[in-house]
Amino acid sequence: MVKAYRRRESVGRNCPRRLKLPNAFNSPACARSGGFSRCADVDPARLCMNLDSEADGEAKPRLPVTALELEPGAPSDLDLMHAIQAENPDALSQLYDRYNGILKALILRVIHNEAEADDLLQEIFMEIWNQAKNFSAQKGKPLGWMVTLARRRAIDGLRKKQAYTRAEERLQAETEQQPEAWVHNATEREIDFGDTRVLVREVISSLPPAQKQAIELAFFRGMSQREIAANTNTPLGTVKTRLELGLKKIYDGLKELRHEL
Amino acid sequence: MNFEEFQNRSRLYVIGALESDELEEFEEARKKLGQKAEDYIGECYALHEAFALSLQPAKSSSAIKDRLMSMVREKQKR
Repeated sequence: MVKAYRRRESVGRNCPRRLKLPNAFNSPACARSGGFSRCADVDPARLCMNLDSEADGEAKPRLPVTALELEPGAPSDLDLMHAIQAENPDALSQLYDRYNGILKALILRVIHNEAEADDLLQEIFMEIWNQAKNFSAQKGKPLGWMVTLARRRAIDGLRKKQAYTRAEERLQAETEQQPEAWVHNATEREIDFGDTRVLVREVISSLPPAQKQAIELAFFRGMSQREIAANTNTPLGTVKTRLELGLKKIYDGLKELRHEL
Repeated sequence: MNFEEFQNRSRLYVIGALESDELEEFEEARKKLGQKAEDYIGECYALHEAFALSLQPAKSSSAIKDRLMSMVREKQKR
């Protein structure tokens, strides 16, 4: 099957039609790359997770988060969801090709086990097939719906596993050894060949480590504020503040990115 | 709860980080604020996509897809 998308590689610092990016991107990695500016000669609608907006007049504006640019004529995510709702297996096959890598990365981040992640990935796409009728474009984008579903399944899987404790120990080791484990710093090469994914990483990597860790524990581990407080030996109020500030920064950074693009 | 506080809580809500007492207050405010609240919560779900996209995509074996598609086609036959 011909893949109906390609990675966008049109970001060039020498492009004459560059856009200035938000302050959140002023990281050392950005500085090394010469200011981290972005070419504007790509249809902004495609950069901004609006793959299905033309087909869905009622969809609300969303923050920018797609890393994939579709080939001309390729079905949008929403087209594929509608086809899946009509029980077309080819649509599921295409959606799988587009997003299996992202969803597997998410699952792996939660459960840290390759074989279990593969099994869960298969189950999640089966659930996408079975639950497609419950998807509504008015409530969000297909990717958001899939990520929400995948995250819930992965966290459920993690909790059910007796290995939860072991995962916590691994997390402990990770956070001690690699405080920046969640989001690696974007390299110059990634910025040269950057896409929305790199920009999202930059927004997140601009957070102080403590805020990043709190969000990681909440999002990827499904921990409550109290659990985070206990796990990190931090006062509950501090955890709450870290989460609120960190999430606000990410939200605002993404929003700003949408406006810049 | 004013709208700014509601916005803060919405971001915690979408990642499942509200404590039960906060959740009750949040749901009350959500009812009061109506569509405006629903729209904002909807926007906050973009955080999920962003977090997923912040990760390096992982490879999976083609056997997974083969199994998936065979299960789907099997289900269709029934």
